[in-house]
Amino acid sequence: MPPPQPGQQKTPLPGIKHVIAVASGKGGVGKSTVSANLALALHMYGQRVGLMDADIYGPSVPLMFGLGTVDQTKTPFPIEKYGLKLMSMGFLVDPNQAVIWRGPKVAQAVGALLFQPPWGELDYLVIDLPPGTGDAQLTLSQSAPLTGAVIVTQPAEVSLIDARKGVRMFQEVNVPILGIVENMSYLGLPDGSKLFPLGQGGGAKLAAEIGVPFLGEIPIDQEISKCGDAGEPIVRKHPDHPVSHAYIRLAQTVVNELMKRPTGGALPEVEL
Amino acid sequence: MTTDDPRPVSLRREGDGLRIDWADGISTFVTWRTLRKECPCATCTDERAKPPNPFRVLSAQEVAAGPPAPLKMAPVGQYAYQIAWNDGHSTGIYTLAALRKLSEPTS
Repeated sequence: MPPPQPGQQKTPLPGIKHVIAVASGKGGVGKSTVSANLALALHMYGQRVGLMDADIYGPSVPLMFGLGTVDQTKTPFPIEKYGLKLMSMGFLVDPNQAVIWRGPKVAQAVGALLFQPPWGELDYLVIDLPPGTGDAQLTLSQSAPLTGAVIVTQPAEVSLIDARKGVRMFQEVNVPILGIVENMSYLGLPDGSKLFPLGQGGGAKLAAEIGVPFLGEIPIDQEISKCGDAGEPIVRKHPDHPVSHAYIRLAQTVVNELMKRPTGGALPEVEL
Repeated sequence: MTTDDPRPVSLRREGDGLRIDWADGISTFVTWRTLRKECPCATCTDERAKPPNPFRVLSAQEVAAGPPAPLKMAPVGQYAYQIAWNDGHSTGIYTLAALRKLSEPTS
């Protein structure tokens, strides 16, 4: 699969209105869970949505959507499930087999996952980026026509430090930051009160610090991982759950943010 | 580079250089020679840091190429352009900020 060359396609993802990257500096903040549930929440608004799992080393989409590896020769990509169009390295590689690749190969694979599937007409393509600021992230930020990035963090300072690095990477390559999502914000107690085991207000603090919108808080709940592990994300399985409400609010906020700002579109071609 | 930096509205060849009209109303011009000389790729940046070598032997492609001219200039994401030159070099990615800095305002 050839890597996408800069400028090779005049409209690299024709038919896709908005490409949203979901990123975090740190691993383990629940970025894949946020991506999957955000994509489903956007779909609940009647939008045509795709989800691309760009985590080459640790893809999560196959598990979270109850899919495993598939026969590449017989399966048309992207795979459709719960109304979303899905693409992941996990469809192609056995989950027990480690992908041990150097950077250029990763960049090539990420480019192929994004540019090769016939996505068709989509209102939103959500890209679940791997954690960090390495080859996969840079390739996508530089070559994909990203409308904007959503940064996921936990409230704790240790997560905020790395989230700042993710923010800087996007600023460096001129990708607008749509805002910060704070995941695992609080635990809702039966009496209606909230417990903040990882600290409080970190996401809002980071958003204020870098001057971007704070998109919302997602609570911790064991139902989230239970649903994800069972192959049906919580927004789909329990749309009336408080966590699903938080995701639906997040989707609405993201849509509002996209409507507020002019995307600038692709850079103009040069007349030589 | 930030999202607040000016974006180009149009870019076109004009004589021996590149004319850029920017969204903030400024029009700038830069010669191909300047752009080639200031190529931001790692190899060229490294070369510029060394003392000039008057005895450097030009490659056959460089000799055949003549004055620098672009064969292709393509957008990279939302932040830069990559130029493929007639001397075979094509790894330089010119950010919008770099293009603005290297070019001279003419209006």
